[in-house]
Amino acid sequence: MSVPLSQMWAVASYVIRQRLAGRTRYPLVLMLEPLFRCNLACAGCGKIQYPAQILKKHLTVERCLGAVDECGAPVVSIPGGEPLMYPEIGRLVSELVARKKYVYLCTNALLLKERLTAGVFEPSKYLSFSIHMDGLRAEHDEAVCREGVYDEAVEAIREALRRGFRVTTNTTLDGANPLRTREFFDAMMDLGVEGMMISPGYSYAKAPDQEHFLRRQRANELFSRILADPKRRWKFNQSPLFLQFLMGTRDFECTPWGNPTYNIFGWQRPCYLLQEGYAATFKELLETTRWERYGKKSGNEKCRDCMVHCGYEPTAVNHTFASWRGFRDTVTATVTGRL
Amino acid sequence: MSDTESLEGWVPAIGHGVTLEEVVERAFDYRGNVTVVKADGTRLEGYVFNRNRDVEVPFVQVFDRAGAGPLDIPYADIRTILFTGKDTAAGNSYAAWLRAKEASQQRLGTPLPPGA
Repeated sequence: MSVPLSQMWAVASYVIRQRLAGRTRYPLVLMLEPLFRCNLACAGCGKIQYPAQILKKHLTVERCLGAVDECGAPVVSIPGGEPLMYPEIGRLVSELVARKKYVYLCTNALLLKERLTAGVFEPSKYLSFSIHMDGLRAEHDEAVCREGVYDEAVEAIREALRRGFRVTTNTTLDGANPLRTREFFDAMMDLGVEGMMISPGYSYAKAPDQEHFLRRQRANELFSRILADPKRRWKFNQSPLFLQFLMGTRDFECTPWGNPTYNIFGWQRPCYLLQEGYAATFKELLETTRWERYGKKSGNEKCRDCMVHCGYEPTAVNHTFASWRGFRDTVTATVTGRL
Repeated sequence: MSDTESLEGWVPAIGHGVTLEEVVERAFDYRGNVTVVKADGTRLEGYVFNRNRDVEVPFVQVFDRAGAGPLDIPYADIRTILFTGKDTAAGNSYAAWLRAKEASQQRLGTPLPPGA
């Protein structure tokens, strides 16, 4: 595990406060999407499939901060679109840091060197660049549908690290080759990133129950092979219990309100992946979303295959603080590095 | 609807085998501009990003073609919705990409890893 102690403490104390207050539904990570515009057009990316007038729009910094205050989550992830194309990204990040929010700025890194050179960001323990890397050069460039992106991202990672920034990676592993993925982990550690975040992608297809089961089983097999006998030097910037869930050694239910999403349309129902409507306020999102319709147990076929981090990582974190056993399992996996 | 089909160009006539609620749902799922034809005959072209029928006065929310909005339009004021704009999602789903990737790997004779 590579999450700094101060961040662990911020999240742990937040969760404990929520539990002591008797709250059953509370957010952990706000997914703040200031814009949908992007400088890549990755195959299958649902975030950029909008008419031109929507892609041209973006949130004001004030609306972003209003959402952050309304939600109250200790961690703010800024995906998109490409957040480095957001004209006020520097001001937004510095306001979030001033609020002591742990910020993960999720970027393809194509503009990172330029923004760093321009002095848009200051290093802070609250700010981490989360670089989108879907594998080694061949796999990543294929995933983003453009050659040369891997090399540019690697160069930007080196530059950010040289300037003293926290750098992590985020990786979607669908159809991945386990051996190549393990080599990719080594390559990222060699670069000196603080930690890696991995997740399966989300694919919804109408399919009979047996096929859904097999999809999950195949995903478990894939992650078991990737994470079998994990090297001590591999650092993951996520809960080890979530990694165990991916490997199939632990079962969790989805926590769709754990990573709420806010963008130009409002608060997205019910989660980061499904777009089933929007609420005007966070309170309205929590109180009027029919949560019983979502998650594996609900039988909703859109949820049955899903093992994505935005629903299950919050469950893993909550599990850590829900019982001594959850806490012990997390500490044991963190200390020993065994999954 | 599969990810290879598109509603682009659809001109639904409400009451002829399709209800307004069904058309609104399709417009909400549609990743392109539509034209909302109101009961008074006026038209509004834009992107339907939200709808809510679990409230006293069900409504849709639209950003118009110039990006202005959100504009709230009650269901009761809608005659029909025409699927006039380009479907930006047609054939671009993640599932379609995975299928293409699998087909490519099979063509090249690359063994498929588990989970692929």
